[in-house]
Amino acid sequence: MTASLASTPTDPAILSPQAVTPGSGKYDDDSSGGSDAPGGAANPGGSGVSGGRCRATRRSFTQGLLTNKKALAGTAILLLFIALALLAPVLFPDNPSKITGMASEEPSAEHWLGTTAKGQDVLALTIHGARSSLLVGLTVGLASTLIGIVVGLASAYFGKFVDEALSVTTNVFLLLPGLPLLVVLAAFLPPGLGTVIVVLIVTGWAGSARVLRSQALSIRSKDFVAAAVVSGEGPLRIMFREILPNMASNVMSTLLGCVIFGIGAQAGLEFLGLGDVSTVSWGTNLYWAGNEGALLTGSWWVFVPSGLCIALVAFALALINYAVDEVTNPRLRKIRAPKDRVPKTAAHKSGSSHSKAAQ
Amino acid sequence: MRFILRRLGFYLIAFWVSITLNFLLPRFMPGDPVSRMFARSQAQMKPEQMDQLRKMLGVDDRPLWEQYIDYLHNLFTGNMGTSISRFPTPVTEVIASQIGWTLLLGGTALAFAAVVGNLLGVFAAWRRGGAIDSALPPLLIFIGSFPYFWLAMGALYLFGVVLGWFPLRHAFSDTLQPDFSWEFVSDVGAHLVLPALTIVLVTIGGWMLGMRNTMIATNAEDYITMAEAKGLRPGRIMFRYAARNAMLPSVTSFGMSLGFVVGGALLTEVVFAYPGVGYQLLNAVQGLDYPLMQGLFLTITAAVLLANFLVDVLYVRLDPRVRVS
Amino acid sequence: MTQSRFLRSARITAAGLAVGALLLTGCAAQGGKTAGSADAANQNAFLTIPREDMGTFVQNFNPFAPTVNPMVQQSIYESLLVFNPAKGNTTPWLATEWDVAKDGKSITFTLRDGVKWSDGKPLVADDVAYTFELQKKIKGGFDYLESVAGEAGNKVKFTFNKPWSPALYDVGQLTILPKHIWSTYADPAKEANAKPVGTGPYTEIDSFQPQSFVLKKSPNYWQPEKQKIAGIKMLAFAGNDGANLAAANGDVDWAPQYIPNIEKTYIAKDKDHRHYWFPPTGAMINWQLNTTKAPFSDAEVRKALSMAVDRDSVTKIGMSGYAKPADCTGLSGNYETWKDSKVKDNCTWTKLDVEGANKLLDQAGYAKGADGKRTLKDGKPFEFKISVGASSSDWLSVANVISQNLAEIGVTAKVDSPDWAAVVAGYETGTFDSGIVWSANDPSPYKYFNTSMGSSTVKPVGTKAFDNYHRFGDPKADELLSQFAATGDEAKQHEIANKLQEEYNAVAPLVPLFSGPEWGAYSDTRFTGWPTQDNPYATLSVKSPTTVLVLTSLEPKSK
Repeated sequence: MTASLASTPTDPAILSPQAVTPGSGKYDDDSSGGSDAPGGAANPGGSGVSGGRCRATRRSFTQGLLTNKKALAGTAILLLFIALALLAPVLFPDNPSKITGMASEEPSAEHWLGTTAKGQDVLALTIHGARSSLLVGLTVGLASTLIGIVVGLASAYFGKFVDEALSVTTNVFLLLPGLPLLVVLAAFLPPGLGTVIVVLIVTGWAGSARVLRSQALSIRSKDFVAAAVVSGEGPLRIMFREILPNMASNVMSTLLGCVIFGIGAQAGLEFLGLGDVSTVSWGTNLYWAGNEGALLTGSWWVFVPSGLCIALVAFALALINYAVDEVTNPRLRKIRAPKDRVPKTAAHKSGSSHSKAAQ
Repeated sequence: MRFILRRLGFYLIAFWVSITLNFLLPRFMPGDPVSRMFARSQAQMKPEQMDQLRKMLGVDDRPLWEQYIDYLHNLFTGNMGTSISRFPTPVTEVIASQIGWTLLLGGTALAFAAVVGNLLGVFAAWRRGGAIDSALPPLLIFIGSFPYFWLAMGALYLFGVVLGWFPLRHAFSDTLQPDFSWEFVSDVGAHLVLPALTIVLVTIGGWMLGMRNTMIATNAEDYITMAEAKGLRPGRIMFRYAARNAMLPSVTSFGMSLGFVVGGALLTEVVFAYPGVGYQLLNAVQGLDYPLMQGLFLTITAAVLLANFLVDVLYVRLDPRVRVS
Repeated sequence: MTQSRFLRSARITAAGLAVGALLLTGCAAQGGKTAGSADAANQNAFLTIPREDMGTFVQNFNPFAPTVNPMVQQSIYESLLVFNPAKGNTTPWLATEWDVAKDGKSITFTLRDGVKWSDGKPLVADDVAYTFELQKKIKGGFDYLESVAGEAGNKVKFTFNKPWSPALYDVGQLTILPKHIWSTYADPAKEANAKPVGTGPYTEIDSFQPQSFVLKKSPNYWQPEKQKIAGIKMLAFAGNDGANLAAANGDVDWAPQYIPNIEKTYIAKDKDHRHYWFPPTGAMINWQLNTTKAPFSDAEVRKALSMAVDRDSVTKIGMSGYAKPADCTGLSGNYETWKDSKVKDNCTWTKLDVEGANKLLDQAGYAKGADGKRTLKDGKPFEFKISVGASSSDWLSVANVISQNLAEIGVTAKVDSPDWAAVVAGYETGTFDSGIVWSANDPSPYKYFNTSMGSSTVKPVGTKAFDNYHRFGDPKADELLSQFAATGDEAKQHEIANKLQEEYNAVAPLVPLFSGPEWGAYSDTRFTGWPTQDNPYATLSVKSPTTVLVLTSLEPKSK
């Protein structure tokens, strides 16, 4: 069983919109679940792209990313939020939950984003909220991806029994409803960000493991890996020095997807009151907004900022992800005018689209 | 055939592990349903009644393995027991009375998002740089970036409260009785629009981009060039040659999503007060209603595995290469 | 893609799929009549009430169910008497009068003549006896009850195994079931009771759906002149938000759920017709300190901590100003008539007094260090946790305010908010530090005092306790409590209750915070005759025994 396109970075599950689906707080649109999309050959046209290009494009990957407008825009937004999160204690040295104004004030010079029904400054809450949201998102993303890498590489390298066992485990975790798991874990762990992080990693790692496994499998079958095995290189070296570098773009996409998942899922859990409601994060801000009837009283300024921030961060990450796809897969790059198209297929296509337009 | 059998074996193992975990998880939670009920009722319940209640609800204190054997036995005989939070209603009845709406909402949203999303993806890939290809992806990604409940609440407030275009709650108007009249069916449709639309909005981008990217790869294949050289109509090439081949990953996604539809859309149900099993599951978990929880897990697990198995079978038909390997 | 195209196609697809769902839900079988039309006059209108904590209804009208469907114990089944905490009065209901024996060991109720079950059969003494038999068998409790027997003249006699004055309301407010129906059920505890037969005003289940159901008039009600509304419609909501939206939008007549910022979200949208009234008749909400742990074993410490709490901010910020701060009698607004003004007017430790708190703690030997923080006698910092269940957002705010208050006297309190089950597990076994907790709310204050300072309710740490979590027992209070239980004479009970309040004031077993408000708001566009502050014949709760009083008082508004 080798890779299928279902699990390459173009996989819908990894792209932002799926990160949090309305279902159970985990991505239920996940193509990578239960089914091992069968058959190595089930890779219509994509196999050449994902496998063969690896070594050649590795050099230009970073460079390509740096010149990609989407990547730059995404990075800029992300950096802005990270900066705000880091500067929060400087900008608002007080406890953000402290009551500093009248209840439900509209935005004014004093409170740029108004106040909540309790009289807390919304701007302070939003900027402080970035800290926990980004922290959870990044930690969950990094940890899930890391587990995914280890599981994926081990599956691909050892194959056979190890692969089967890991696959079953992965799939079971994908099936496991995240919600009960959360309540069980929350009962054992002290409430707080740590618990939310652990829960999201437990429910989130399986998705990335599946994607990375299929990619690792396809690279495992390449000649240069076979050569490395023959030349007597150790398993760890082959996994991390030969296979891993060749899937850098997939790891990157997975990481970004997992961060988006982490931020979104945290917000969803907290909105339902399942997180730690005494911390300040974008999710808890929205929880309290709902609790205080912000929409019913027309206090949009309480409701909008945190939601918009989550969207902007997720959007920034998705842009970078999009850019990674474009850089690693030249065919995805935007083509401005028919003339600039890649010779072979593009020429045909431009012809066909013209003829279609004419019809 | 060997392939199918192999997959079947795999699913059986996954199924067994899942149901075992579903058995163990609730039993690792602290407390029991009665003390949770007591905590919730906040002194409305008399402490001296708790032991009696435990007896009545059949809260089990036998050794785990005995409970486990019973549990497996009940699963295979289709006896899911009596719900604790909805005592004395049987679990099957609780689920059956609500799963229809869950399937309607989830199924509609999924089908719509997948069909429209994939079509958009096909068109975007076919006319690279066109309006659909350049404007839609970033827009859909941006919309999809919002937290789902945020979008749903916003939509409910804007279209339901402020503009009054759509009903605010429930699956149909309370003044109607379910029947097959046009009045009722259109009423159900009107109630479905907002909940389904919000789900579609956050999921459609994924379908579109997935399809678009696969299509672009497929378009470079020799058989497409060949088809173009033969002078086939572009529409025919687009759908019969390119899209058909690029569809495989989407089919996998669709199968998986289809399985999870059964689990209900928790946040949607909460925001739109739509009757369904998603909120029931949250309630069951928080109230430690083991039987209901197990019943729902079992339904979800079975649905997901079944959907995946069907996808596998479909795959064999769609892609002859699988049969060879 | 334009919005309208999107919507149109969505509507069409949705309508198509709706047919499929119908088959699945199996509702198609019920035939196709419309139950009422939009232009129905108020005469035919159903009193519409949201239920905020049930996402869906199941057709189960069993009163023994742990989660009883709404209205089962309000409009379907009725009790012998109804106690109204808003006014402190008792209304005879299925019983016209009762007589407490001199020795306090029995009560005899006289049943009302002419009461019929909704199937036309008369209510008899045997029904009452059978109800208690079932209740004891299925749900337990009533350990003091020795026998229930019918007597000549349509009377029922309750005999106890000890003098037990709190029994009156205990047995008087249990809803009575028909024996001729329930004795035919093979397993009453597991009976869905889908078509209930009761003595109440609205018993006939109609148009049952997971999202809503209707209760129509009982054809045989004993006060037909009071069945002025056509019926009751319950709507299911998976949370406050949905129910509040319905209320704000004017889709329900009665809004008993918590509504944030009610003036703005609800009242302001129709000032002439919408009203609310939150009488403080709920249970006293206490901050309980685990008295098995130092320093909480010291009454002076408990008082000092109580003095540091700013109850005005607690109720204003935590409870949106909906609750009334507590006094040192410990009694909630439910027991207003029981309060001893001598105690109530001379409260010290339930009033904000930071200076006094500091002084008390200094005297008790918990000195402030150089950093302004106090230390315990063993040298450890004066630090502890306040536990609140994560889902109770209002109490969480209360705990946060207390924590901020305590910081001012050099005491560090950390708010700990895991799942309620974890919190209660800590309460039950006695391992907690402190927590925000509810208390008993009966017509008589016996239970409140018994569970706050009665030694009989104290369980050792490690043994599960279901009340008196703070584990405080006081021999002096025990004495008073047994006297109270033994006398049926209300004047004497008041006298003893006064002494109990003095004792409570002296030992401060708990830190009372505020009387829980009984939420309730309504719109009189379609129905009038609601209870108000000026006419407090009931509270605005839809889950209390007084609800039936409201249901039999409302009438459609005439134009």
